[in-house]
Formats: sequence, C-alpha cells, structure tokens
Amino acid sequence: MRFLICGVGAVGARAARHLVADAETKAVLVDEPDRRRQAAVVSSLGERAEAVDEPDPSAVDVVVLASPPARHLAVAKRAVAAGRHVVSVADSVGAVEDLLDLHAEARERGVVVAVGAGFGPGLSCVLASHAAGQFDSVDEIHVAHHGTAGPACARQHHAALRGVGFDWRDHAWRRRPPGSGRELCFFPDPVGGSDCYRAALPDALLLVPAFPGVSRVTARLAATRRDRLTAGLPMLRRPHAEGRIGGLRVEVRGRRGLSRDTVVLGAVDRPAVAAGTAAAVTARWVAAGRTLTTGAAGLAALVEPLPFLQELARAGVRAAVFEGL
Amino acid sequence: MALLRRALAAVAIAGIIAAVLRLRGSGGTPPQSGGRRELSGPGLR
Repeated sequence: MRFLICGVGAVGARAARHLVADAETKAVLVDEPDRRRQAAVVSSLGERAEAVDEPDPSAVDVVVLASPPARHLAVAKRAVAAGRHVVSVADSVGAVEDLLDLHAEARERGVVVAVGAGFGPGLSCVLASHAAGQFDSVDEIHVAHHGTAGPACARQHHAALRGVGFDWRDHAWRRRPPGSGRELCFFPDPVGGSDCYRAALPDALLLVPAFPGVSRVTARLAATRRDRLTAGLPMLRRPHAEGRIGGLRVEVRGRRGLSRDTVVLGAVDRPAVAAGTAAAVTARWVAAGRTLTTGAAGLAALVEPLPFLQELARAGVRAAVFEGL
Repeated sequence: MALLRRALAAVAIAGIIAAVLRLRGSGGTPPQSGGRRELSGPGLR
C-alpha cells in the first residue's frame, strides 16, 4: 500500500511513523510546505519514505490529510476525483462540513473520505460508538475535549472558543454562543476535572448521522479563564510545538430494556500521539477495505468500534470507563 | 429578656429543622467506590 501524508506536523509525523512501520506499506510520500521539516521527517522515516513537492493523490492508495484544516478540501477533491481514499484529521466545523459535502461523489466512486479521524473528533466518535453498543437505543451523546496537539490544533482551539457551537437537541440543530454552557467535566487522571464550554466543534456534525434517532448531541471544550478572556484576540504568544497531556470524555445515555442508563468513557494521552495513531489505523483500515461503508463520514459510521479500539490499544492508545454511576 | 428568648427560640427551631433535614434528607452518603478503570477483556468493557 502507498500513502500520501499532507502535513507532517505533530500529528502527521506520528501518523507517518506508524504507517512506515507497517510491513504492508510500500511507500509513504510526504508533502510539507516547510522543506526543512519535510527533509528531517523523511530522513527519520527511512528508505520507504519519499519527499514530494506537490501532492499527487493518483500516485497512492490513501491520502492522509494532517495539514491545517483549511488546506484539506482542495486535496480531498482531487483525491476523490482520482478514485483515491482520504483520511482527514480536520477538527474545524468549516473543514468538516466541506469534507462531508463530498459524500455523494465519494459514494459514486466507491471511495472513503474519513472525516475527523484524529483524537477529538476521531477517537471520541469511536468511543461514542463503542458505548452505544451497550444500549438498545441511544438518546444522548455528550463529548468533552481537553488539550491540544501541535500549533495548528492550538490555533484551532483558540478559534473554536469564539465560534458559534452547534448542538443537536430534540432532533434539530441549535446555535449556541461560544463560551456558554459551563460544565465541570472529569477526565481520566492525570487531567482530572476541568470547566468545559460550548465552542465551534464539529463532533455533533459527525455523530448525528451515525446515530439515527439520537435526540441530543453536544460537544464542549475545556478552557481556562485566560483562554476565554483572550478568545476574541489574536493568540498572545506562539503555541507550543507539542501540546501537553489531553483528554476525552464521552457520555452516552440510552435505553437498555425498560431502564435508562449512562456510560461514560474517556481517554487520556498526548493529543498529537493519539491523533496520529488513530489517523494511521484509519488509513490502514481504509486501504484494506475494512470500513463499514463508503462515502464521507466520521469514524462512528465508518469503523467497527471494538476491533478499532483493540488495534489502538495495541498501539498504546487506551480508553477507560468511569464506574460508580 | 424578650429578645434573648426570641433568639433562643429561633436557634432551637433552626436546630430542629437542621436535625430533621440531616436525618430524613435524601442526600445520602457519597459513593465510596468507583472511578476510572481501563477498558479490558475481549469486549473492552
């Protein structure tokens, strides 16, 4: 199998490393506007990695988009037109909407566009799907994110705190002001409790189509007072090259027989590491034809959650359940 | 003197109300077990 990685920042470099370590991978082509970074990553990946000046989707089986989200659509369109699969780690509402719009063409060409295949969204969608498997019907899904991956993810986090959030409530979309709906969410240790707020997050856009009949889907983002105060300003200092530890909390409420119950799953990891691993596993599954369907969708609709989580666990990305409810 | 009696009566009534709420309230004891557990087993439950 041949893969093209567009963007080898904190997430893309991890995804490339996972892919190049797979014995079935013939080549990993690396596209990155920063030539010094591109050369450094290619030399660290070994002889199966190759630098390219211009992304050419027709030369590979799967295109992995790990560049800033605004650049995803153009390459994804070319890939779908060439009949190639796409895996995107997009985490902005606009990019996710644009990629989901490729659904009809992707279905027609029999290719997969995996949208939001990172940590959050990505692993969060798989955790929601895994928890939903314990219910006869799912009523509500509530996702909370903590932490960021590389600089592009930190900028997206900053922008999300001033963007309008979208909640799915009573089978209709509701626009929510950013920074509203404060909720104290407890993530697995060592992250612990953190105040989370509504923000421009794409999780609901990916989860609602995967769970027909769900009545409420919300997403919140952990933020400090400084994050909220400065959300309307440009970033006051350069983001970290690599984010600190981050977490996910996914709460699913539903019916089991005659009773209602709640399952809370979570994960804690460096977001860039977990996102890179999730993107690489998704790319391998897509290339091997292991997805449940074709077209553009989130991971909740594309992958069987149990074997996907087992593969992530073997790669070191583990999930946890909260007991004591 | 009347003021003192009223104050004592108020304290006594407050104490009785607090005792009733403490003994008959539905708060109960917070969970003494539970927490996060890594998903495990063949079903990752």
